[in-house]
Amino acid sequence: MSSDMNDDGLSRRTVLASAAAAGATGLAGCSSLTGGDDAPENPIELLHAWSDGDGNAAIGALIEGFEEEHPDVEFANEPVNGAARGNLDQVIGNRLQANDPPSTFQTWPGATLEKFGEAYADIEGDVWNDDLKENYLPGPKEQAQLDGTFVTVPLNIHRINNLFYNTAVLEEAGVDPESLSSPADVVDACAAVDENTDAVPFAQQTSGSWSTIQLWETVLLAQAGPDGYESFIEGEGDVDQVRSALENVVALSEYYPSDASSIGFTEANTMVMEGDAAFIHQGDWAAGAYSGSDDFNYGEDWGQVTYPGSEGSYLLNMDSFPYFDNNPSPEATKTFLSYCGTTDAQVRFNREKGSIPPRKDADVSELNTFQQDQYDDFTSADSQPPSIQHGLAVSTQIKTNITDAFSGFLEEYDADATAEALVGAFE
Amino acid sequence: MRTLIATLRNRGSDSDARTDGGEPAATRSFFDRDSVRSAPFWLPPFLLVGLFVYGAVVWNFFLSLTDFSGIGEPDYSDLDVENYVVAFADPIDGFLSMFGLGGEVGGATPAWSDLTVSPVWNSLGNTIALMVGFSAVCLALGLVLAILVDRGIRFENTFRTIYLLPMSLSFVVTAKFWLYMYNPNTGIINIVLGVFGIGPVQIVQNPDLKLGAVAFALIWQFSGYAMIVYLAALRGIPSSHFEAARVDGASTIKMYWRVIIPQLRTATVSALVVITVFALKAFDFLFSMYGGYQPGPSADILATRMVREAYANQNWAYGSTIAVILFVMALCIVAPYVYSQYQRGEL
Repeated sequence: MSSDMNDDGLSRRTVLASAAAAGATGLAGCSSLTGGDDAPENPIELLHAWSDGDGNAAIGALIEGFEEEHPDVEFANEPVNGAARGNLDQVIGNRLQANDPPSTFQTWPGATLEKFGEAYADIEGDVWNDDLKENYLPGPKEQAQLDGTFVTVPLNIHRINNLFYNTAVLEEAGVDPESLSSPADVVDACAAVDENTDAVPFAQQTSGSWSTIQLWETVLLAQAGPDGYESFIEGEGDVDQVRSALENVVALSEYYPSDASSIGFTEANTMVMEGDAAFIHQGDWAAGAYSGSDDFNYGEDWGQVTYPGSEGSYLLNMDSFPYFDNNPSPEATKTFLSYCGTTDAQVRFNREKGSIPPRKDADVSELNTFQQDQYDDFTSADSQPPSIQHGLAVSTQIKTNITDAFSGFLEEYDADATAEALVGAFE
Repeated sequence: MRTLIATLRNRGSDSDARTDGGEPAATRSFFDRDSVRSAPFWLPPFLLVGLFVYGAVVWNFFLSLTDFSGIGEPDYSDLDVENYVVAFADPIDGFLSMFGLGGEVGGATPAWSDLTVSPVWNSLGNTIALMVGFSAVCLALGLVLAILVDRGIRFENTFRTIYLLPMSLSFVVTAKFWLYMYNPNTGIINIVLGVFGIGPVQIVQNPDLKLGAVAFALIWQFSGYAMIVYLAALRGIPSSHFEAARVDGASTIKMYWRVIIPQLRTATVSALVVITVFALKAFDFLFSMYGGYQPGPSADILATRMVREAYANQNWAYGSTIAVILFVMALCIVAPYVYSQYQRGEL
């Protein structure tokens, strides 16, 4: 045996110690920087998925306006960007599991609030004061509540029940969009376009199911009226009304582009812009694309009517900022949410976003003509039903069931089976 | 550090060499065993992998026995197999429905939900169909390509690269690319079909073709991989085997069928394992192609269903249940391979 024995032992210990040290360093890296004090001076942490395009411009304008008015309140330097809305929910879910909620985040109001229901706190009084309660119309006001408690501040409204059209194509086809008064008339108008022009009558994408769900909900609203629509989203839908709306969609599908299943919304919308299609049913973000084009002008080259049959209703799709209990920056968040409830904030935001303010007393002269027309429709609407596709009307699990039903509908166009599945989505 | 390296270098030589090349185990202390002496090197990764991979698998299994949904903490005090009962509800009709037979498959309402939750039969059937169809065709095509490339053709390297290249693309790219290829108006598939007087055919949302179209795109992407594995195996077969077959008067087909292909067994098994695991992971492809995790009933696989339950519905326990089912399926593929390797003494 050599005299190295002792040396060897020491070395082994050295090896073990180095390994342990390396391991400890590695683990230390894993532990997150949680905790921190609950001082109200924490900056506002706002998580959103508006990472590009009009959404990004809108949130930028909103934060700029807020910082002008409240220079003393700080924002966490970098809001979370680049996440899709679905991923954002996942991030929030994980943060809530860890009991580390952000100040607020971008979410649909209405039934979507049920998803993180217990995590929200009542902001009636602090944020939802008499001014807000007076100036939000009943529809949006209802969507801001979770089981009768005000927990969120809606910021904008996109309308779903629109029918956009290319003026030149309709003139060539001899169709007057103002004369259409029911979903069945839209099908007839499509037949006329098909017969008299080379254009695709109804631009629609079917690779994803969302466009078809919002089309169906619009047709249901137009045929069954706000009451029938309301019964459906409460789970007491009349299967005949549901089927009849689906049958109308089946009839319309005859007039889709032949490659509807391979294209997306942008391609479908471009068909209308380029005169290759007559109609498109979409939320008013479709108009955002038109306003980006210099030679495609509202009133001349394109127009919009309330989806025939649904006049008097403004089918809502909204974004909102809720208030979390256990808030990292309670006072600052409330200040920010109060600001979001002002007309100044809403005009700034919606000017960029292409949607309209949910308050009825906003000065919309800064918005474009199309938005002003939409705002007039909104303030004079008799009912403001919530959208199913856009998460306001039904809880997430029921919405998954509905989307499941429509993913099957897109394969078979079987109105009977889908109607059963839709009514069964609530069971 | 220098002493450390010196010590490591001298490890083997610090005891006297014996003529029989070893020393009796009984005289070695516990700390002198090779396994213990090398522990600083294998133990940390072993523990980390054990904790973060196998520990997570076990944890996921326990999670699947809870009623965890929504936000909050899972309750591990009340474990039951209810989720598995729900997942395999209505077994007879469910099993038959995987072959397009049987009546309507009923759902079940678990204790943690007010709503009916449908069983996994449909997505299970699609997953198996995709796995079997995709793997079989992929291997067959890979073999044919490998044999052709191995025939000493010109530009062999170029062809090999061309066939392998699709594998380097991500699923997201290939899904968008095939969405375009399947376009009834402008897609190349329909243009080719048109030459034969067929079509145009709706493919992407066609319930009869959907899963096949997905499998086709995956075959396009991964047959190159099968080719490479087979090519390596073909190169490993001594040319004397080819020559002997020739001398005995075997035709080319007979030569491959009787002499060469039987020697590709190991290659087939290892390629099969990798390829079937790719089939289980087709989630990204479907997600990109159908703009979400709802590709429709005829292309819904367990992976999309799992993500839907976990992240859309926040039914965490039920999502874990589907994950366990997927894990067991993957195990069913890998285990026989590992066992056969073990039996042949290659493990």
